Parts: sequence; structure tokens; C-alpha cells
Amino acid sequence: MRTRRTIAPYLFVLPCVLMLAVFVYMPLIQNFFYSFQNISLLSGKSSFAGFDNYKTLFSDPVVGKALINNVKYAVISLIFQVGFGLVLAAILEEEFLRKVSAVFRTIFFIPVIISITVICLLFSFVYNPTDGLLNMFLQAVGLDSWAKPWLGSGTTAIYAVIAVSQWQSIGYCMMLFIVAIQKIPRDLYEAAKIDGAGKIKIFFSITLPQVKEMIFVNSLLTITGAFMVFNEPFILTKGGGPGTSSITIAVLMYQNGFVRDSMGYAATISLLIFAITAVLALIQTLSFRTGKGD
Amino acid sequence: MYRMGRKLGLLMLAGLLVVLTACSSNNSSTAANGNGNGESEGKTTTLKFFHRWPNEPRNSYFNYIKEEFEKQNPGVKIEMESVLNDNYKEKIKVLVSSGDIPDVFSSWSDSFAESLVSSGRVEDLSSMYDSDPDWAKTLVQNQLKSFTFDDKIYGVPFTMDGKVFFYNKKIFSKLGLEKPKTWDEFIALLDKLKAAGYDTPIIEGLQDSWAVGHYLGTMNQRMLSPEVLATDYAVGTGQFTDPGYLQVLKYWQKLSSYMGPNATSVNHEATRNMFIAGEVPIHYLQFAELGYLKDKPDLEFDYFNFPQFSEGKGNAEGLTGAPEGFMISKETANKELAEKFVKFIVSPENAAKFQQDVGSMTTVIGAATKENSPPGTLEAIDVIQNAAETTPWLDNAVDASVADAFMRGGQAIAADIETPENVLKEVQAAAAKLKAVKK
Repeated sequence: MRTRRTIAPYLFVLPCVLMLAVFVYMPLIQNFFYSFQNISLLSGKSSFAGFDNYKTLFSDPVVGKALINNVKYAVISLIFQVGFGLVLAAILEEEFLRKVSAVFRTIFFIPVIISITVICLLFSFVYNPTDGLLNMFLQAVGLDSWAKPWLGSGTTAIYAVIAVSQWQSIGYCMMLFIVAIQKIPRDLYEAAKIDGAGKIKIFFSITLPQVKEMIFVNSLLTITGAFMVFNEPFILTKGGGPGTSSITIAVLMYQNGFVRDSMGYAATISLLIFAITAVLALIQTLSFRTGKGD
Repeated sequence: MYRMGRKLGLLMLAGLLVVLTACSSNNSSTAANGNGNGESEGKTTTLKFFHRWPNEPRNSYFNYIKEEFEKQNPGVKIEMESVLNDNYKEKIKVLVSSGDIPDVFSSWSDSFAESLVSSGRVEDLSSMYDSDPDWAKTLVQNQLKSFTFDDKIYGVPFTMDGKVFFYNKKIFSKLGLEKPKTWDEFIALLDKLKAAGYDTPIIEGLQDSWAVGHYLGTMNQRMLSPEVLATDYAVGTGQFTDPGYLQVLKYWQKLSSYMGPNATSVNHEATRNMFIAGEVPIHYLQFAELGYLKDKPDLEFDYFNFPQFSEGKGNAEGLTGAPEGFMISKETANKELAEKFVKFIVSPENAAKFQQDVGSMTTVIGAATKENSPPGTLEAIDVIQNAAETTPWLDNAVDASVADAFMRGGQAIAADIETPENVLKEVQAAAAKLKAVKK
């Protein structure tokens, strides 16, 4: 009887541990070994490469370019998704919008549940240089000179791609913030009002500090998301074009693995992604001390 | 606890074994009656068929092939799957390398086919040709070399292609323009068209990097001597140091400047439609696309081959274009049935149906007639059959990593964010890396 009692809990976690081991930890370890090899997926040949892949990693100019694009992604996402997402949530939770806020909430949240592939196809129409919605709109309001081949120019492509992600994800952050704001005790707001605080003062002195936890969660999600972004550039600019101007590190990894047939180097790049996201998660966990806050 | 875990592990292992043996016994039973008709004992023989044409009208054609073959061969089931283009390239590579290889599958020619063959899992079909010379004769013979490696034929070519400049005859005759023979004449022609009000006298959907590759492949062939090209294109000996390569990229920079700022943000299909609509006078198109041109009957078109550079050392009459075809897995349990299926697809009747339904040509001699093909097809077949030299597409001619460096670089040149010098450096680096890996 006693043994059974000690076994039971382990049995319950066993499937989970097994799954994690097989699908997460084992590939991670294997990946580490792959990064020291030259692997051709096709011929199935592999040879020991030593630190060659790492040398390429640090001398490859495209890696730098991709990382810069990821940083742009992260910064812009922080501003729009976390920053404006919070503002949007605060406005929707305002008294005067109470009656219609459910409608807006739904509208802003709809993009989140649409498949990213569909969204990218939609936006490739919007960005079409000759008869896309965006350029036609700019021409209609007399801003002809602003019309651009958004996805085809080296200077605008990455921003055009980032913009799509903002459009899609801002609703998600907003929803999380709304949940957090709804949990703030109402008497705090009442007390502030009695003390004569204005709306902006209330936002900065009550809402902001009270949703600190959620800001942390959202920043973690957006920043790690920004370093793993793949679908948007892969579909919108067909793998980071033109040239490599809108490439991200995940797309670069994919292209090396499946287009250029050098799996070993792709494994090395994926280790870099792993290192970056792990460090980011660590920094954020340490600096915010989630779950142990007041 | 530990023990329990082991017990559980054993149990799972046992389960896995049961599943595996079930699979393999299934295989052996199909192997036993894999005598070509699969009728014995009423068991079904399954043939896995993977191709790259899920788009219409090809999709319906292959659905018809599947149903018709199943009807004619009772007891045979064709398990058909398809994925488009670039995704197919990636998926078939994974399937072939993992060993989970379909019995019959489609493949591009030359370096793509060769890299699949290098896995050792693709069947040598030489005996299929030798044992049935009557059938072998039905195919256009100069297309076979694209699937021949070390004197062994590893595939059956099915579609046949060539790429030339199509032009709008009405616009040309209105402006009194002639087909250009040399590069300089071509550039002068583009200038004239521009002066006549065509802001983009020529266009290409450069968002598709393969479209860039089609240009650069032909330009390399025209510019460089065949020996230099052969050395540089071969895996492990490529250096790309000949000054001709830089010249090609500079010419590309010049040519792409006529395509306007929007070219890099649209795809090939969009620009082809612009040509069909008569908005753009010249477009580099494949003969396989003739079927689309008939959609607009009042479009009068003709074509000319890629003009020669004055300093070019390659054959000026060469034609870029490569067949696509079918391969059979070495691990198939039903080799005869697989061969029968491939022969069924490339039979004269079915090739004629493909010509009729899809509008693009096949390697089967006589499948295209004046009645069943779009205008220009018979002439195009003539051009291909009599080409002085045929060059595969760039991404079939060189290793994927070098091709990628060329194509992405060419795209960046067209978008005006990279110089020809830097792009060539990238190409050289990719070739050098290849050398280091494959030595």
C-alpha cells in the first residue's frame, strides 16, 4: 500500500515528463550535437565540422542583419502591443465606454483568432504597389509621394512586415490588460477621484502600478515572440526579401536548413535563438520577480 | 518507482513493436502480390504517389489519372498527395532523406534530381528504357539527359519547357520595332519603348526569387564559356572568379532598372497578367505558360530567344529550360506496378489529355496537335527539340546554396540595396563553403 502511494504521483506526471523529454529536451540536446556537424539532409551524409558552423555564425553578415530586424521587431512590438495595448485597455475600461466596450473588445480581438497565413495574404493585397488598398488610399488623399512598393523596397519591407504583427497582436495584449484592470479594486479609483486626481494621473498612479505583473507577462511574450517571428516575413516577403532586407533569425535558420541544405549551420543558428530567448526570459524573471510581488 | 517506469517503458515498447510489425507485415503482403496487377486474392496494393501540382488545371488532371488507373487495375489503390513548388522541394527532400519515400514522385531535373539520387534511394530506371524500346522511343530524346547521371537514367521526363522573351506584336508593329539579336539592340529597344510611354517596357515578378534565377541562369550561359561554367557549377570545384560573372550581374542591374520600382514587391503571376493585359510589352516566359496566354484571344504575341552579349562566350542559340518528370523509389515493394503507373501517365493518350487540359507541353512525341494546344505550342516544341544546347534552370544547375546566393543577391540588386560586387562575393563564399563541406 505504501509503495503504491509513493508511485502514484509519479505516474501522473510521467506522461508529461516523457513527452517533454522526447519532444523538447532530446531534440535540444541533439541539436547541440548537430551544430558541430555538416549535415546534408538529402544525401544523408554528415561529417564532423568542429567549430566551423560557429565561425560562420559570427562572420555571417546576414546573421547581424537578421538580429537587427528582430530587435526592431521587439522594440516596435513593445511600444505598440504593450504600450498602446495598455492604453487601449485603460480607455475601454473607462466609465463612459462601458456600454460599448464589449463591441470594441471583440473588434480588436478578432485579428488574434484569424490564422496568420490568412492575415499575411490579406496584407499582401493591402500592400500591393499598384492596386493595393494602402497606396490607393494615399493617392486618394493626395499623398502620392508617400505611396511605395512597401514589401519590395529594402527600406520599408521590414517595417511593413512588423506593422502586420502589430495589427494582429495588439488585441491580445489589450485583452490581457483588460483582465488585469478589471481585477484592480474599485475603491482605489474612488479614493483617487475624491482626492481630485485627473484621468491621466489615475492612469499613471493607479492603473499602471497595479498591472505591473501583466506588463511583465506581456513584455515577456512580445519580446520572445519577436525573436522567434517566422510566419510574417516568410509569407509576406517570401522569406525575408528583397535580398535579405526583411529576414529574421528564424527565417534565416529555416533557409539554411531547408533551402540551402546545411542542417548543421541551421542547428547552430537555432542554438543562438535558444540562447537569446533563454537569456531574455532569465533577465525578465529576475528583474520583475513575478508571482512574489506585493 | 523506477521499476514501475521500466515496466511501463517495456509495455510501451511492446505496443510500438506491435504497431511496427503490423506495418511491416502489411508491406510484405503487398510485396508478395506486387506482380504488376495486384489482383490476386482480392487484396489491395497501395501505391504512394507524391507530386507538385495541387493547382488547377493540373490537379484535376492527376485526379483523373488516379481514378482511371485504379479503374483499369482493380485492386490497386493510388494514394496521391501534392504540395506546390517550393514547399514540394522542401518536403520531398525530407521524405527522401528520412526513408519514408513515396513509391512514385515528381522531380525537377539536373542538380535537383541528382541530389535526390545521391540519397541512394532512387531507382535506376535504365532497365525500364532498355526492356521497352518502343515505349522509350515515344519520348523526346534530348530531354532524357536531364535525368541521366553516370550513364544511368533515374527518371521519366514528362513536361518539357524553354524560356524566351514573349512580346506584344501589336505594340512592336505600331512602333516599328524588330526582334533584337544582341544585348545592345535589346537595351536600345527597351529605351525606345520607354520613350514611347511604356514606363516599364519589361517586367518580372521579382518577389519570386526563382524568377531572378531564370534570368541569371540564361545570362551566365550566354556570357561564360561552357568549360568555365561546367567547372564553377559543379559541386566542389566552383570558384566563380571569372570576370564574366560580375559583368552578368552588372547587366542584370541594368536590365532590372527597366522593370520599375514595383517589380520586387509583386510575384510572377501578377506580372504575367500585366503582359497578358497588354500593359507591358515584353515578359520573359516559359513555353509552359502558353496556356495562360490563350485566355485573352486578342493578344497577339511572338517570342525571341535571349539576345547575345557582344563579349559572350556561350552558345548564342542555347535555350534555358528543363523537363520535369517522375522518379521511382528504390524501396518500393511494387516496382513493376510503379513503372506501369509512370508509363500510364506518359502514355500518348494521357499526354494528349494533359496537353488539352493544361495547355502545356509534354515530352511525349505527337501528344500536341494543332487542335489540342494553344497557339505557338508546335513551334515551341520545334524550338526545344532543335535547340543547339539546353541549359537547366539556375536552381537546377548549381547547388541550392549557390543558387540561393545568386537569386537573393539578384533580387537585392534589383531592389537597389546591394551591389553586383557584394553579391558575387556572397556567391563565391557559398561556393567555397560547399567545397569545404563536400571535400
